[in-house]
Amino acid sequence: MILKFDLPKQVEDLLSLSADEKLYYSVPCDIDEAGKWTDNGYTVVTSKNAYVIFDGKIATQVALSDCEKTKSEVTVGGGMLVTKYKGEQMILASYSAKHRVRYSYIARGINILSSGRDEEVISKEYETICPKCHRAIPGTKDCPHCTKKGGFFHDFKKLLKPYVKSVIGITLLMISAGVVTLLNPEIQKHLVDDVLSKPDGSLSTALMCLLGMFLLGAGIVVINVLKSYFCTLLGARIAKDLRKSLFEKIQSLSLQFINDRRPGELMNRVVNDTSSIREFMQNTFCNLFTVAIIFAWDVIFMLLLNWKLALLSFISVPFGVWMTMAFRQSIHRRFHLQGKKDDDVSSNLQDVISGMRVVKTYGKEQKEKDKFNRLADEFSRIQFRNERFWAVFNPMIKFLMSAGIFLIVLFGGMQVLNETMTKGELLQFITYTTLLYQYLDWMTSMPRELTRMVASMERINDVMDQEPFTPDVENAVKHDIEGEIEFRHATFGYKSYQPVLEDINLKVKKGEMIGIVGHSGSGKSTLINLLMRLYEIDDGELFIDGIPLKDMNSEHYHQQIGVVLQETFLFTGTILSNIRFAKPEATYEEVIRAAKLANAHEFISKMPDGYNTYVGEKGFTLSGGERQRIAIARAILKEPRILILDEATASLDTESEFLIQQALDNLTNGRTTFAIAHRLSTLQNADRLLVIDGHSIAEIGSHDELIAQKGIYYNLVKAQLEMQGES
Amino acid sequence: MNDNILNIKDTKFEKTAGGFVSMDLAGTFYKRVKPIRLFPFTDPSKYIAIHDEKDVEIGVIEDLAQLPKEAAALLQEQLELYYFTPVISKIINIKDEYGYAYFHVVTNRGECKFAINMGGNAVSKLSDNRLLITDLDGNRFEIADVLALSVKEQRKLDLFL
Repeated sequence: MILKFDLPKQVEDLLSLSADEKLYYSVPCDIDEAGKWTDNGYTVVTSKNAYVIFDGKIATQVALSDCEKTKSEVTVGGGMLVTKYKGEQMILASYSAKHRVRYSYIARGINILSSGRDEEVISKEYETICPKCHRAIPGTKDCPHCTKKGGFFHDFKKLLKPYVKSVIGITLLMISAGVVTLLNPEIQKHLVDDVLSKPDGSLSTALMCLLGMFLLGAGIVVINVLKSYFCTLLGARIAKDLRKSLFEKIQSLSLQFINDRRPGELMNRVVNDTSSIREFMQNTFCNLFTVAIIFAWDVIFMLLLNWKLALLSFISVPFGVWMTMAFRQSIHRRFHLQGKKDDDVSSNLQDVISGMRVVKTYGKEQKEKDKFNRLADEFSRIQFRNERFWAVFNPMIKFLMSAGIFLIVLFGGMQVLNETMTKGELLQFITYTTLLYQYLDWMTSMPRELTRMVASMERINDVMDQEPFTPDVENAVKHDIEGEIEFRHATFGYKSYQPVLEDINLKVKKGEMIGIVGHSGSGKSTLINLLMRLYEIDDGELFIDGIPLKDMNSEHYHQQIGVVLQETFLFTGTILSNIRFAKPEATYEEVIRAAKLANAHEFISKMPDGYNTYVGEKGFTLSGGERQRIAIARAILKEPRILILDEATASLDTESEFLIQQALDNLTNGRTTFAIAHRLSTLQNADRLLVIDGHSIAEIGSHDELIAQKGIYYNLVKAQLEMQGES
Repeated sequence: MNDNILNIKDTKFEKTAGGFVSMDLAGTFYKRVKPIRLFPFTDPSKYIAIHDEKDVEIGVIEDLAQLPKEAAALLQEQLELYYFTPVISKIINIKDEYGYAYFHVVTNRGECKFAINMGGNAVSKLSDNRLLITDLDGNRFEIADVLALSVKEQRKLDLFL
C-alpha cells in the first residue's frame, strides 16, 4: 500500500520544505472540512510537522513534538486521524474507508516520529483500486491490467513449459485442422466447375472428388477428436498440477495471509481459478491456431478469388461483431438479473425452512407465505421476460448475421451470369463466407475468455508468489523444550489498524500454570496464537527457554506443544484417527489411556463402532462435550511440553468438567500450561492469573493476591459468585 | 428497567478546540463524547446514544429536536463526522467490467467514483426502494428512493436490484 503519493507541484511549492525537514508520508485526504468528497486534499507528514492541505491551502499544521498518542479511529464508513495535541484530543483529518488502512500506518508513523525515532513505516498490504487505471485489483499485488499485459505471455509460457511436448502436438493438430477445413471448398469448386458444369465431365473424376471430400471430412473428424482429447488431457493435467502446488503453497503461508482473504476466497483459487484455466485450455486454446489459420487463409483466398466480393462480405463483419457483442451483453445483463432473483428465492426458502421453529412458534406463516409468493412471482416474471427475449431475438440475430450471404449470392450470382465468375468459385466463396461468420462468434468472445483466464492466472500467481510464513532461519534450533517462556514488549494486531496486544511483558517459569482472564475480545486467544507461533509478533520478542521463538525449528516446536481449543475441529475420519492426528504411530494402548484420561473412553466404548466410529461432516454426530473430550485426548496423547487450553472445558456439563479437570490436573503437572477460561472455577489450580484488559496485561498474580487488589479480577469473581447465588 | 434516557435539561454540550464535543451532565464533565445512532437507517436523528471516551454509554437522547438549536446542530455535526454514508442523488454512469461495477455518481457529499464487487452482496435493500451500496473499500452509499431516479438511471441500476 502506497504511503508516499506524488504531490502536485502546487502543494510542493506551498510546503517548500527546508533541507532539514524530510518528507515521510504523503497521502490523499478525500473528505474536506465541510465533509464533502475532494480530490485535492493531502495529509503530509514530515520529520517535524503534520500538514493537512485542501485546494492548495494548509488547513491544519501541527508540530509532531506536540502530538502524542496519534491514532486512526474507525468510524461508520470512514475514519479519522486523531491526536492528543498539547494535551487535548484533536481531529487532524477525516477520510473515507478507502484510506482507512493507509491512515493506520500514518498514525503509527507519526507516533514513531513524535517519540523522536526516525524509522519509516512500510505497508505490505495491497491496494484495492489501481492508482493508475482506477480499476479494481482482484486481490493481487499489482493491477493485472496495468502491469501484466506484456507479462501475460511470459506467465502463459511458464505455465505451459512443463507440457511442451503436448503443446507442440496440439499445435500441429490445430494447424492441420485449419488446412483440412480450408481444402474442402477447393475440391467442391473443382467438382462443380470441372465435372458438373462440363458436358464431358466423367463419372470417375466426380467419384475422385467425392472420395477426396469424404476423406477430408473424415480427416477433420479424426483431427478434431484427437485435438479435443489432447487439449482436455492437457487442461486437466495443468489444473491438477496447479491445484497441488497451490495447496502446498497455501499450507506454507501465514495464517495472516489466509485471514486477510475472505473465507472461501482461497478455496475459490484452488477450485475455480484452476478450473477456469482448464476450461480455457479445453475450449479456447484448443481452437486458437485453427481459427487463426482459417481466418487468415479465408481472407487471403477470398481476396484472391474475387476481391470485390470479398470486400463486400467484409463490410458486414464489423456490423456482425457489433451485433453479437450487443446481444451478448444484453443477454448477460438479463440473465445476471435472473440469477440474482433466483438467489433471492432460494435464500428466502433456506431462511424460512431452517427457522421453521421460530416461524411456527410466533405464528408468522401467513406473512412468510406472502413474502415467498412475492419473490417467486418476481422471479417467474423475469424468467418469462428473458425466455421471450431469447426466443424472439436469438433467431433474428442468427438470421441477420447470415444476411451477408444473401448479398454475396446476389452479386456473385450476377457475376456468374455475366460469366466473370464460375459457379464453383461462387460456391467456394459462399463456403468461405460461412466459415468466416461461423468463427466470428468465437472471435468476439475470445477477449473475454482471455481476460477471465488472465485474472485467474493472476490470482493463482499471487498466491504462488507469496513468501512462505516465517521460513525457519538457517540452522534453526531443534530445541527440546523445558518450558520457560518470556514475552518481551510484544505487540501484535491482526489488522494493521487495530492492535490487539500492546507491549506485553511476561515471564513464565517452567511448569507453571497460567490462567488467562479477560473480557471477550480482549486478546486472550491472540496471546495464545502468538505462543503457538501461528502469527509473528509485530514488535518485541518471545523467548522459549531463553531462545527466541523465531530462531527455532517450527516443526520440531509444534511437535512439543499440545492444544485444546474452544472450537474443537474433528477431521472427517474415525475417532481413532482423530486422536492419533498428532502422533500417528501411537499404539491402541496409548490411545485408550489418553481417552480414559480425557474421560472419553466411556462414551466411545458405548458406540456401536467403538474407536472406529466415523465422525466428521458426514459421520456420527457428537455433542460439543464429546468432541471436546476427543480433542483433549488428542492433546494428551502427544505428551506435550507446553499445554495450551483455550476454553477447553467450556462445552462440558459440570460433572464431566469435574472429571476432566482432574485429568487435566494430572496432565498439567510439571508442564507449562496456559489456560483461558470464562468460568473462573476452572482456573483454581493456576499458579498465577493474568488479567488482560485494554490490549495489555492489567493485573497479574495469584488468586489471593488479585482478590486483595480489588481490581478487575475481584469484580469478575464477585459477579460470577453473585450469578451462581441467584441461580 | 432503566432505559437510560438523558434528561435534556441536565445536559450542556460544547465544542472542543480539537473538533469534538464535550458534555456536562448535571455537574459531571465529559471531555469528549461520541454520539451513536441506534437506528441509523430508520430514524437517524432520534435515539442518539451518547458514549464517553471509553465507549461506554452515558445515556440516550430521545430526539435531537428536543435539544436547544445550537446543541442539536453541534451533535448533528458530530454525527456527520462519525457516519459517512453519502446519499446518491444522480447516477452519471455505471460500467461493468469483469466482475466489478464502476459507479460514477453525484452524492450529497459531492461527485465521486467508486467500484463494487458484482459477485458479493455489495448492494443490499434497506426497504423496497431504498438501497445501501458497499464498495470495495467498505465505503457505504445510500440511495434513498430508487423510484426518485430517472428511468434511465434506474435501468443502469437494474443489474443490482
